[in-house]
Amino acid sequence: MALVETQDLVKKYELGGETVRAVDGVSLSIERGEYVAIMGASGSGKSTFMNMIGCLDIPTSGIVRIDGIATSDRDSDALAELRNQKIGFVFQQFNLLARTTALDNVAVPLIYAGLGTEARREKAKAKLEEMGLGDRLDHSPAKLSGGQQQRVAIARALVTDPVILLADEPTGALDSKTSEDIMQIFESLNEQGITIIVVTHEAEIAGHAKRRIEFRDGKVIEDVAVNNRQKVSS
Amino acid sequence: MIGNIRQQASGWLVNVAIAMTALRTNLMRSILTTLGVMIGVFAVTLAVAVGSGAQVSVMQSINALGSNMALIFPQPDTGEGGRRSFDRGRLTMRDARAIQKQVSGIDDIAPQLRSNIQLIVAGRNASTNAVGTTPGYGKVSNLVAEYGRFISEADVRSAARVVVLGPTVARKLFGDFDPVGETIRINRAPFTVIGITESKGSSFGNDNDDIALMPISTMRQRFSGDSLAGPDDLQLLFVGFQDGISLPDAKREMTKLLRERYRVRGKDINPFTIRTTEEFMKESAQVTGIFQIVLVAIASISLLVGGIGIMNIMLVSVTERTREIGLRMALGAKRSDIRNQFLVEAAVLCVIGGAMGLILAIAGGTALTVYADFPVPIGVGVGVGAIIFSAFIGLLFGGYPAVRASRLSPIEALRTE
Ligand SMILES: Nc1ncnc2c1ncn2[C@@H]1O[C@H](COP(=O)(O)OP(=O)(O)OP(=O)(O)O)[C@@H](O)[C@H]1O
Ligand SMILES: [Mg+2]
Repeated sequence: MALVETQDLVKKYELGGETVRAVDGVSLSIERGEYVAIMGASGSGKSTFMNMIGCLDIPTSGIVRIDGIATSDRDSDALAELRNQKIGFVFQQFNLLARTTALDNVAVPLIYAGLGTEARREKAKAKLEEMGLGDRLDHSPAKLSGGQQQRVAIARALVTDPVILLADEPTGALDSKTSEDIMQIFESLNEQGITIIVVTHEAEIAGHAKRRIEFRDGKVIEDVAVNNRQKVSS
Repeated sequence: MIGNIRQQASGWLVNVAIAMTALRTNLMRSILTTLGVMIGVFAVTLAVAVGSGAQVSVMQSINALGSNMALIFPQPDTGEGGRRSFDRGRLTMRDARAIQKQVSGIDDIAPQLRSNIQLIVAGRNASTNAVGTTPGYGKVSNLVAEYGRFISEADVRSAARVVVLGPTVARKLFGDFDPVGETIRINRAPFTVIGITESKGSSFGNDNDDIALMPISTMRQRFSGDSLAGPDDLQLLFVGFQDGISLPDAKREMTKLLRERYRVRGKDINPFTIRTTEEFMKESAQVTGIFQIVLVAIASISLLVGGIGIMNIMLVSVTERTREIGLRMALGAKRSDIRNQFLVEAAVLCVIGGAMGLILAIAGGTALTVYADFPVPIGVGVGVGAIIFSAFIGLLFGGYPAVRASRLSPIEALRTE
C-alpha cells in the first residue's frame, strides 16, 4: 500500500469569475521510504498539491490517501491528529514561535499529542541534540542563524516521529552552504526510513532526491527516478 | 483515567503558559484591558457589598429597637381606605393598660411622650430628643443603665425630676466626669441625673445614644402639655412580646381591642396605627433588595464595558496571531485546542483584572466602614464569587473570538502575513 496516494486530485480557485485550476487532476502514489522532489515553474501548483497531501487544504475533488486513510472521510479533529502523528512540516520561512525557546518550539507538537511537561522536554531535547543544537536549547529564534532556525524547525517536524516529512522550499531562505547542510540532514533522515517530499526550484536540491516530479499548470508533466534517469510514469 | 486527568490538567497549564507569554508580549495592551475588567469587578463587588451592608444596617437598627415588638401610634391608619370617622389619631394611657391586661404574650409595654429638650449644666448645654416613659421601656428596647439606675415605678408615680442620659448627651455635658447624682437644668427646671444608658451605637448615621429618658408623668407635666389634646394621650406605645409569640396574631388581637374601644365599625379607618418589627424587617428587606439590584445593575454596565474590551482585544489578538494559529494547526492542534488556548487567555486576563478589582473593592469597603461608619461586608463568598465571575466574563466575551480562531482554515491561516 502506498504511503501517499492521490487520485484525480483537483483544486480550483474562483478569482473574479475566472476559475484557476491550481492542481488539475493529479494521480500519484508515493511509497514508504521514497525521497521525492517536486519541481515546476512558479504558480504551477506545487504548494497547493503539498498542502492537500499535508491535510492542510481541502481538495475541490479527487482523493488523498495517507497510509491508506482517505482524508475526505475524516473530520477536522482526525486530520489534526493525522498531521500530528504522521506528518512533519518544514516551511520556507521556518515558522518558529517568536519569544519562545528552541526547546519550547520543538515541544509544541507534543502538547497536541497529549504528552506531559517532562516527556515533552525530554523528547524535544533529544531531537534538538540530533540536529546538533544541544547547546542552543534556550535560545529564542531571534538569537539563531537561518540554518539553525531551520534545523530547529526540522527537529519540531520530527519530534512526533512522523512517517512523512513535507518540505516546501526548505532552503529558499538560506544560502547555498547552509542549504547543503539541510540537504545532508534530509538525506540521512531518508536513510533512516523517513519518506521525504520536498518542493524546490533548485536542481542541486532536487539532485539529492531519488525521484523527481515536474508540475506545469497544475498537472504532472514528468515523473522520473533521479539516479538512473528512468521514467516511472507519465 | 488518572493519567488522562493529569494529561488534561497539563494541557490547561500549557494554555495558561501560552496565555502568559502572549499577554507579556503586549504588556501595555494587556494592562489596559485588565483595567477595564478591574473597574467592572470593583464596581460590582462593591455594589453587592454596599447592598448587603445596607441590609445589615437596617436589620441592626430594627434590632436596636427591640426584636419582638409592636409600635402603636395615634395616627389614622389609612392603609386600607374606608370612611374616616376621626379627625385625629387616638391613643391613651388607658388603651395601653387595656392592651397590657387583655392581650396575651406581652412581655412589657413602654408608653411614650417625646419632645426636644435643652439641657444645661455649668455653662455647657446640649439639646436632645427626650423620651418620657415608664420602666417598661428598658425591657422592651433592651436598654439598661450602664451607670446608676433606670427610671423606676416610684419615679413615674411621683413625677420625679430625674433623667437618664444617653452616653452622647452625657459626654457633651460632663465630658469624662461621672454625672450620676449631678443636677442639671432641663428647660430651666432642675433635674437629677440618675443613670447613663449603655451605648446602642448608631444606625444610618443616626446616633442612638443621643437621647434622654425621664418619667412619662414628668414629661407630661413639664414639656408636652399643649401639644396633646387629652391629658391621658400618648405619642407612642411600644409593646414588647415574649419570644415565640406570633406578631401578626398579636397585631390582630390589639387591633380588635382598640377598634372596640373606639367603636370603629366595618371598614372605617382606625384612629391608630400598629406596626410590628416583623413588618419593618420585611419592608426594609424589600427596599434594600431593590436598592441592591439597582446598584448592581448600574455597576454591571461598567463590567459589560470591561467585557467588551476583552472581546475587542481578543479579536485583535486572534487576527495578529492568525499565522501562529495556522502553524499550531499544522503541528496537530485540534479546533478545541485553539479555542481553549484563546479562552484561557481571555479568562487569565479577566481573572487578573478581577483579582485586582476585588482587592480594590476590599480597600474601598474598608474605607467606607471606617470613615462612613457603614458596614460593607466582603466575605469569602463574595471574594470567591468575584473571581469565578471574572473567569466567567472571560469565557463569555472571549468565547466568540476563540471560536472564530478555532474555525480558521489551517492553510489560510498559515498563508496570512
Ligand atoms: N488561496 C488562493 N486563492 C486563489 N488562487 C490561489 C490561491 N492559492 C494559490 N492560488 C493559485 O494557484 C496557482 C498555484 O499556486 P501555488 O502556490 O500552488 O504555486 P507554486 O507552484 O507553489 O508556486 P511557487 O513556486 O511560486 O511557490 C497559482 O496560480 C496561484 O495564483
Ligand atoms: Mg509554492
